Amino acid sequence: MKLLHNKQSLLSLVFWLLLTAFIVWDFAKSAEINQREEPPLIAAGSGRAPTGAHCSLPK
Amino acid sequence: MKRWFLSAALAAFFGFLLLSVYVRQAVLFLVGIGLGATLAAARFGFTTGWRQLVTQRDPSGAAGQLLLLALAALLAMPLLGQFPELQAALGPPSISLIVGAFVFGAAMQVADGCGSGTLYKAGLGFPLNMGILPLFALGSFLGSVHLQGWLALGQIEPVGFVQSWGVPVALLVTGALLLGLAVLMRLWVGAGKTWFSKRWVWGAVLLTVFATLNLVLAGQPWGVVYGFGLWAGKLVTAAGIFDPTANAFWSQASNAKHLGESLLLDVTSITNIGILAGAMWVSMKRSDSSANSQLQSLTAKQWAVGLLAGLVMGYSSRLAFGCNVGAMLSGISTGSLHGWIWLPLAFAGTLIGLKIRQAVFKDDKAE
Repeated sequence: MKLLHNKQSLLSLVFWLLLTAFIVWDFAKSAEINQREEPPLIAAGSGRAPTGAHCSLPK
Repeated sequence: MKRWFLSAALAAFFGFLLLSVYVRQAVLFLVGIGLGATLAAARFGFTTGWRQLVTQRDPSGAAGQLLLLALAALLAMPLLGQFPELQAALGPPSISLIVGAFVFGAAMQVADGCGSGTLYKAGLGFPLNMGILPLFALGSFLGSVHLQGWLALGQIEPVGFVQSWGVPVALLVTGALLLGLAVLMRLWVGAGKTWFSKRWVWGAVLLTVFATLNLVLAGQPWGVVYGFGLWAGKLVTAAGIFDPTANAFWSQASNAKHLGESLLLDVTSITNIGILAGAMWVSMKRSDSSANSQLQSLTAKQWAVGLLAGLVMGYSSRLAFGCNVGAMLSGISTGSLHGWIWLPLAFAGTLIGLKIRQAVFKDDKAE
């Protein structure tokens, strides 16, 4: 049982390492973030339409 | 891993987002952690709730979801009426939606988790769900690549209740439809059932709070699927096996922009990462052997079927304009007709998915 628990923990570790590596790789290769384009903290009441994408949108 | 170490790592990542990305993204990461911790601690599984309703005539999970839909709508619709810059989850009623919702409903039962379920269970360390996540991402990407072809089969413009009728009527119609669902559930489960259990109720309340925060901060409702497709899209584009400029979906200005910039700027990606982290944080506290026993109990055939279901789930969620979160919760709570088309079709698919699940996994028990 302990062996199984260790195997499951190892799988979790691999999962998180791969996810972290992906995020780091993506951050390194992507266009530099321009913080002067930072959107307001709260979109509601800002008067600015959201720029994010959502799965409900067809485009 | 000790819980304090994970807390420190999450705090460091939050600080990084705060200093090197945007304050909004850092706060949305916290919202994601809240969503993930709630989903995991309450075991708020959309898939499980439906399964319990069908196989055990237990309405508690589905009633918790109705409560979540009602509470979220009560907050989201007035906000949409008050702040025109906030965006509803308006998907187009279409052949794509009909096919996608039905197939998704079946696949989520086989994979034992919808979009949010896959995330929080992967965060809890369930091996099958950790394996499903990249395939869900690949499926979501493939669905987005083919989306315009599916839409060409037939669609109408999205219908928003708030935009069409105003907030009061939109709330009344939504409330009446939710009440109608409750009546149908009552007819199915019969008398003498426990409708509300603590975990489903406090889970619904907290999810409402975090989903509303997502809407207020990001300007768009909570979603899961887009982030997954984006992750796979980045990988295949970088590998040189996909040309986004030749694809109708990914050549759109906003999608092309997301492909080229850090995923840390994408709203759904940052909340997805938060959900994984929040669920992992919960897993550090609870003594739970189910993740271990899943590793022990699944056969090779069950692994293969589960992973395939994950791929199908990703593809169909893109066709359906969202999963239980993006289409059902966000769609219905923001007054989108597509959410009300999605729900019965996904439920019909679930009836098929449960048959497949019982045949392959030899059980119908809740998680």
